[in-house]
Amino acid sequence: MIDVLAYALILFAGVAVIWGLVTAIANKPPGKAQLLYAAGVEVVTVIQSIIAAAKLAGGFRPVELATTIGYLIGIVILIPIAWLWANAERTRFSGIILAVAALAVLAMTLRLLVLWTPA
Amino acid sequence: MSDAQTQPETKPVLRRTNSGAGRVLVAVYGIFALAATARASVQMLTKFHQAPLAYLLSALAGLIYIVATITLARGTRASRRLALVAIIIELVGVISIGTLSVVDPEAFPRATVWSVYGIGYGFVPLVLPILGLAWLWHTRGS
Repeated sequence: MIDVLAYALILFAGVAVIWGLVTAIANKPPGKAQLLYAAGVEVVTVIQSIIAAAKLAGGFRPVELATTIGYLIGIVILIPIAWLWANAERTRFSGIILAVAALAVLAMTLRLLVLWTPA
Repeated sequence: MSDAQTQPETKPVLRRTNSGAGRVLVAVYGIFALAATARASVQMLTKFHQAPLAYLLSALAGLIYIVATITLARGTRASRRLALVAIIIELVGVISIGTLSVVDPEAFPRATVWSVYGIGYGFVPLVLPILGLAWLWHTRGS
């Protein structure tokens, strides 16, 4: 975990949450830019998990190792699944689905920051 | 399915649970299926002896969320019934475990998604079964 990257991801995910809600309120399915943005958030999420995995491999030991590993794996599958699920039926609710996934990524990153304490 | 035999095939009696707002419900259930199952797995693998009952209930919660996610996502007549059963168990679970964890915190040291009515997850575990039942009611047809 790198604090700056985590805070950036929290910000990016927060924007994705708001964007998803905005298109839902406007009664539109997510546009191309929004879907690309969600993919971008996913790329940052994957980078964060890879860096954290490298640090774990390098000998860093957080207090709750198993939980931390679970979070690092779980966090990367949320947006891809939500992306497919949101696109299979494109309505205003697709935006809310993307928002829910981004909110989960945001919450899990906050939790990871807390978990990332040396044992 | 006795219903399927008595109802004419051509008449759509039920609305699909996996369409429109229902897709958001499925997404939220999916996240809780992942969260509860992963949490229970970690608990059972690393410290099962500390609180076997709480961790078994944790695993049960995960299983219920998985069943609810799949059945709501399928949206068939048969899967609706399973969804109804799963969501009722979920509601009973979150209320009873929530109450037990308040009355006897020693037995449930913040160990399950349902502890203190899901306080660790913004009380979503308490709201979710109510929304689930409301959605099944809303899509029940006439």
